[in-house]
Amino acid sequence: MTCEEYENALLLAAASKGELDAKLARHLERCSTCRMALRTERELFSRIDSALRAQVNEHPRPGFLPQLRLQLSKELTARPGSDRVWHVAGAALALVLMAMFYPLVNARQSIVQGNLQTPTIQVPESAGVKQSARASEHLGVRTRHHSKRPAVQSAVPQDPEVLVPPDEQKAFAQFVACVARGDAIAQAVATPAASETVNRDTELPQVSSVDIADLQLGRARQEAWIDQTGSSE
Amino acid sequence: MQEFTWPGRTAETELAFDLEKASLRREFEQRLEECGMLAFRVARGVLRNAADAEDVAQEAILRSYRRFARLRDPSRFRAWLVRITFRLALDHGRSARRRELRETAWATDLPKPTAEDIAASNEFGRRLQDAMAALSEKSRLVLLLTSMDGHSLEEVAQLLQLPVGTVKSRLHSARKQLAEKLR
Repeated sequence: MTCEEYENALLLAAASKGELDAKLARHLERCSTCRMALRTERELFSRIDSALRAQVNEHPRPGFLPQLRLQLSKELTARPGSDRVWHVAGAALALVLMAMFYPLVNARQSIVQGNLQTPTIQVPESAGVKQSARASEHLGVRTRHHSKRPAVQSAVPQDPEVLVPPDEQKAFAQFVACVARGDAIAQAVATPAASETVNRDTELPQVSSVDIADLQLGRARQEAWIDQTGSSE
Repeated sequence: MQEFTWPGRTAETELAFDLEKASLRREFEQRLEECGMLAFRVARGVLRNAADAEDVAQEAILRSYRRFARLRDPSRFRAWLVRITFRLALDHGRSARRRELRETAWATDLPKPTAEDIAASNEFGRRLQDAMAALSEKSRLVLLLTSMDGHSLEEVAQLLQLPVGTVKSRLHSARKQLAEKLR
């Protein structure tokens, strides 16, 4: 075997500090270069170990432990009870803030959802429609006007829109149709109650089924539809 | 100021709580000397100066006190302390190195140190530190702990919750890497 083949074995022997392998020992007896290499490697490992030991086993300043005790007692005096008080106060504050902001956030979300989900009904500008808009105000239905928004004006239709919840769309469409036709009950609902009284004996009008799509037609078709329903009576 | 009490907590339970806390504190203080030294040595093995190592050890001890109730088992506590100190020391060392680089960036055109300066500043120690910094964290921790007085391979294995064979192989690999860098 050549010396190069013992290179790794030499390194292992130097690092392990243990007894030499018999084969390596026999080679070392004959080879002075490898003996020298082993000695150098061992010296290096010894320097590494002693430098590490010197560093790691260094003692701290004499004031280190007393200072540590002082810091610890500061920590202990700062903590008792007070942190729990702060935890409770923090939790209470968080609850108050949640209670304050929840309605705002919820209202905002419902407006956003309403804008996304609730279809808007384009109400035709006729006599009946004016009444229906007024009726909507009385009924608490929100109407939306875009006249104060010049930037959006071009994109949004000029006619007033009535936001109707999805489950009331059909009923509302029938109501609008009744108002447009001038039915007595619808007129009574749309008119302020103080000035007029409703005859409770009035027979409910038979309204043909009106679909929401019918009210979302263009203005010309809506007027034609109103004329048609008016003349059919 | 009257001390805060949880709703439903009686004076007896408060007293029991305080007694438990006092007992924990006594127990911790009994271990403080041993643990303070252990934390300092781990930190010193990573950091280049003793003052920084003291700061890191102090921080680690305070943190360990906060967790002491949960880490009451001595072997778990020592293992946790070693790990937290080692990690804090590494973080401290990294930020110190960044700070050093920032502060010396303007002085790059200063005259280079002479051979005598280098010899005087313990060149081998500096190179050893650099070589240590290049080791993996696992190997580095094993090397530090086995270099500490009174830590046999078995104790280090117990401290790190590793098999002795793993500790041996990590130690061997770490020393070999150091030797290759310092040759």
